[in-house]
Amino acid sequence: MDIRLTSTSFLMPGNSAWRSLGEAHQLDFGAFGDWPQVLADPAQETVVAWVVFLDDVLSVEASDDASFDALLATLLAPLDARLARGSQRPVLVAWTSAAGGSVIEAARTPSASRALAARFEAALYERARQAPALHVLPLDQVFAKAGRDRCFDNRNYYAAHCRLSMTGLGALAAALGEILHRLSAPARKVLVLDCDNTLWGGVVGEDGVGGLTLGQDGTGAAYVDFQRAVKRLAQRGTVLAIASKNEEADVWSVFDTHPAMVLKRQDMAAWRINWSDKSHNIAVLAEELGIGLDSIAFWDDNPIERETVRAALPQVLVLDCPQQVIDWPKALLECSAFARFEVTAEDRRKTALYKARAEFVTELSERSDRVSFLRSIELRPQALPIEPASLARAAQLCAKTNQFNLRAARHSPADLTEIARTDGAVALLARLSDRFGDHGIVGLAIARPTADPDVAFLDTFLLSCRVLGRHLEAWLLDACVRPLREGGVRYLAGEFIPRERNAMAAGFLAEHGFAPLESLAARDQVRAAIDGLAAGGKLYTADLKSLAIPHLEIYADDKVAA
Amino acid sequence: MTKSLPDLLRETFPKAQFDAADPGLGIESFPEWDSLGHFNFMLQVEEHFGVQFTVEEMSELKALPQIKAALATRGIAA
Repeated sequence: MDIRLTSTSFLMPGNSAWRSLGEAHQLDFGAFGDWPQVLADPAQETVVAWVVFLDDVLSVEASDDASFDALLATLLAPLDARLARGSQRPVLVAWTSAAGGSVIEAARTPSASRALAARFEAALYERARQAPALHVLPLDQVFAKAGRDRCFDNRNYYAAHCRLSMTGLGALAAALGEILHRLSAPARKVLVLDCDNTLWGGVVGEDGVGGLTLGQDGTGAAYVDFQRAVKRLAQRGTVLAIASKNEEADVWSVFDTHPAMVLKRQDMAAWRINWSDKSHNIAVLAEELGIGLDSIAFWDDNPIERETVRAALPQVLVLDCPQQVIDWPKALLECSAFARFEVTAEDRRKTALYKARAEFVTELSERSDRVSFLRSIELRPQALPIEPASLARAAQLCAKTNQFNLRAARHSPADLTEIARTDGAVALLARLSDRFGDHGIVGLAIARPTADPDVAFLDTFLLSCRVLGRHLEAWLLDACVRPLREGGVRYLAGEFIPRERNAMAAGFLAEHGFAPLESLAARDQVRAAIDGLAAGGKLYTADLKSLAIPHLEIYADDKVAA
Repeated sequence: MTKSLPDLLRETFPKAQFDAADPGLGIESFPEWDSLGHFNFMLQVEEHFGVQFTVEEMSELKALPQIKAALATRGIAA
């Protein structure tokens, strides 16, 4: 990314403390003290990192609320100008409070510097709630870790207007790097855990449940705290799974009967507990959960297992756990691989959603008669219109669905509202629940009218991968075709545009009664009617008079909610 | 491992062209070694040898022989 750095102090461009950040990004420091112009400049459309030292703005005279408010209004005006013009490019505000005074002066009332810092922080987070582009970086937290006095350097300040030492500059650069990295790379979704000597001390197969180190004073307490750290990650949207070499029954007896276990069986979305190779088991878990290996992180006390997995599955993040268990809880809590800017309600439900998918895939693989299995799981699909309440979810599906997505047209909320309003268009969201849970809104189909009233065009057809394998696509297609037929449409044209990850949707049209356009007698009529076709797309058409969609028997006894 | 002053110059200015064997290297010996580059180089020297120069030394020590001498007064042979 191109990063424009700007600060109330000098940041020592060219210092080797900036080197690794400079290798990952293009850094531009501009001129010293240019932050008001950089933030307010409407032409400034790069990512901006504004580094604020409240020492630079706190004047000796300021000591009451009114003077703080006046200071902050001036300080924040350029940032507010940038936010007000709705710039979507990220802006990072890294800030540190002024040096503290005597603890005696802080014993009864907060010092002026603390009071200003508290107000500044509140003002930043208040803006962050409104402006998704704003990211706050509290440097006091960063410097506390390295030691505040080591991060600041008075000599640098009086010789070069730089408040920081090289240690401080390095800590600032590393913290900026973490945030910039997360802006472009999502957090790991799944933590795969070993069991023996990872969740508890000892080997359950040899020591028995009663012989494990877990919950006692000393190391036993550290294992409990490690489990608490894991649980905290789960509460913030990380999905948990197990890959361990054990007898499965032994592991569950610890989960179910050991009184000090913090993690419970239901916290685990999926598991492979057997004597197979762990890299194989992790690959199977990824498949079962329907995620890529690059979404997985792995924690195992055994360095040999870690090396084997690292070599076999380079996309998996193998975490280097500290030598001593007492250092694990902190190491896991500080691991930025799982950290995300925000945790949504959807994130908190993730374990349940992934678990539902894993259970479904496992049961499906165990059943030889797929149709009778699917008929037995109480599938309840429901078609919903695009309306204000569902608009955000519809746009999110367009933006995020990569795999089962025919054209991957990334419609914005405004586009979708427009399409839904078009006369003759059919736009449906599919919601699904079944025995494995309520999956929420998981599909979208849009057929829009064309220049020819006989022909409609399947503009969007997508399904979230967490419900694949249920032939919901057949149901959704049928739900879309019915109103078209009623509206007198004769031909439905569909297009598959190959994208990076949508190969799984390539066969959908041909397998659901569509024929390649060339084979149709009315091909010229259909082609002429559709505008805005992509180069490289493959066109199909179905004659709605004769179209017979397969697999509908799974949904046959009309479970569609009214 | 103790590094030499030319090693530290290389760390501060990885892309600069200079003759590491020239004992008289100093500020302005190559374009990157300007006053800001000099400050960054001095910080690199400080960090490596675990010393801190004074405000005055930061501007007065303009070439490798002077820096060597200032380190020697702190008991460091560079």
